[in-house]
Amino acid sequence: MLEQFGYVGIFLLIATGFTVLIPLLPKLFKLMGLIPGKKTAAKLVQYECGMQTIGKTWVQFNFRYYYFAVLFVLLDMLTIFLYPWAVNIKDLGVGGLVAVGIFLVILAVGYIYAWRKGALQWK
Amino acid sequence: MLIDEMKYITPEISLLCFALLIVVVDLFVTRKGVLPILSVIGALVAAFFTVGLWGNGGISAFNNMIAIDQFGLFFKLLILASLVLVVMASNKYVLKFEKFQGEYYAVLMLSAIGLMLLVSAVNLITIYVSLELSSISLYALVSFLKDKASSEAGLKYLILGAVASAILLYGMALTFGLTGSTGLTAIADYFRTSSTASPLLLTGLVLIIAGFGFKIASVPFQLWVPDVYEGAPTPITAYLSVASKAAGFAVITRILMTAFGQPDWLHAEWAIIIAVLAALTMTVGNVTALVQTNIKRLFGYSSIAQAGYLMVGLAAMGMATQGNADIRSGIIFFLFSYTLTNLGAFIAIIAISNKIDSDQIADYTGMGKRSPLLAGALTLFLVSLTGLPPTAGLIAKIYIFNGAVDQGLLWLVVIAVINSVISAFYYFRVVKVMWMGEPASQDKVTSSWPEWTALAVCCIMVVIIGVAPGAFVGLTQAAVKMFGI
Repeated sequence: MLEQFGYVGIFLLIATGFTVLIPLLPKLFKLMGLIPGKKTAAKLVQYECGMQTIGKTWVQFNFRYYYFAVLFVLLDMLTIFLYPWAVNIKDLGVGGLVAVGIFLVILAVGYIYAWRKGALQWK
Repeated sequence: MLIDEMKYITPEISLLCFALLIVVVDLFVTRKGVLPILSVIGALVAAFFTVGLWGNGGISAFNNMIAIDQFGLFFKLLILASLVLVVMASNKYVLKFEKFQGEYYAVLMLSAIGLMLLVSAVNLITIYVSLELSSISLYALVSFLKDKASSEAGLKYLILGAVASAILLYGMALTFGLTGSTGLTAIADYFRTSSTASPLLLTGLVLIIAGFGFKIASVPFQLWVPDVYEGAPTPITAYLSVASKAAGFAVITRILMTAFGQPDWLHAEWAIIIAVLAALTMTVGNVTALVQTNIKRLFGYSSIAQAGYLMVGLAAMGMATQGNADIRSGIIFFLFSYTLTNLGAFIAIIAISNKIDSDQIADYTGMGKRSPLLAGALTLFLVSLTGLPPTAGLIAKIYIFNGAVDQGLLWLVVIAVINSVISAFYYFRVVKVMWMGEPASQDKVTSSWPEWTALAVCCIMVVIIGVAPGAFVGLTQAAVKMFGI
């Protein structure tokens, strides 16, 4: 038992060391003379993905995307549970069918809710 | 067979069906009055199934995940009773939620399902999952008013609740890591064969106590209580202060008794921790309550103090060898009477605030003239919370303190009695304001019939338990039967 906790401890040490080390690397390189370390305007810009940033960070998204994202997660759940059931449909038998039926009913309530509350409309 | 064991969770399943039904009905029906009726019927059906399981003392189902025992069934009935009373009390209050009434009732029922599973769970994993089910529903309910105070309360509850969950999980992980099992009875088996526990395991125990300390609002995990109680919709405050607290005490009693109840050196270890926390909790709760001007905050601190009295019972339980059943029934009896008293008080507060739209104690001035019945009922509940005759509160306190004195916790009982005297100051300040002052307006304060019914039930029960506690003592003594001990 203690041995397994030991692995967690080692993992914790490495993770902490890594997070401390990486931001310090530029300083280290500068000390070693590998880089000049001159601060130009371009270097002080927030790094995102290598492309030049266009506009501001506080872009407003349409709130409706959120609804669709949640509904998409619902569909994902459907796939995750239906697929293993479909693969083992013979072994699981009637019990499995009933269980999946109950699952679908509960999920259907969620969809009916979203539909009646107007989450499926793009207004 | 797993399918055959489904009958042991019929109360939860039936309640879930009704919660889903309410969601659907709410979408297609314009007369929202049908929703509370459906929730009450759902709770009654679940109560019917729960009573049907009574007498099945000590079976475990789903591979030792859930136990069906008198202890759990009693608390399920208590949770269902408070659900019914809260639904009846929110009859008028839900108008504030406008179009979200169906969600309100459905989420309330989901949290009840979580609490019901929580009191019957006998595995750390089921305990955690059902705790989260109830907590997440409660986070949503606390912020249901969507105004500034309510949102702030919801956010505070969510963040602090998440921290408490993390602490609890850490404690559970340590316990699992060192005992090699998540089942409460299997953990008990581990202790039976070992003579000492490693410091790491005791750390796990302390972290578990801390995690549930948040749920039952014990010092030093009580800081969320006043803000959340003040900001939350008043029926939810009532629900938090009784059902959530009762379930918290039930599960901590079960964990401590089943997993950490034997051998002697172990339960003496946590008894001392709980005893010290109990003394602190009572004192902090009562002393801070003295200066409150908002009635919901006052009841927040009062509920912290009451948790302190209950922890006296927990400490006494830890001091007793062989898991003294009398002390355990004392805790159950106290929770039973506290639930009815506190719910009753909150129903009166809801009825009054529906009319005067204020929670300031100063605005209760002259309530005795504006509504003698509501003021009279609130007075009765405040007397019961103080612990004076002829009410349930007195018997409950005697029951718990008696058990604690028997176990040599005289010092703790002395502190508790001093605290009861302090509590009389702030409880009777409200009484004095209601009956002595001149009302600001002559408008009569009245209420709807579901609220009157709920209030009458609480009043009658509080007096009956206070005058003739025999039958209820018998009931709580039957409810001590716990799986695994």
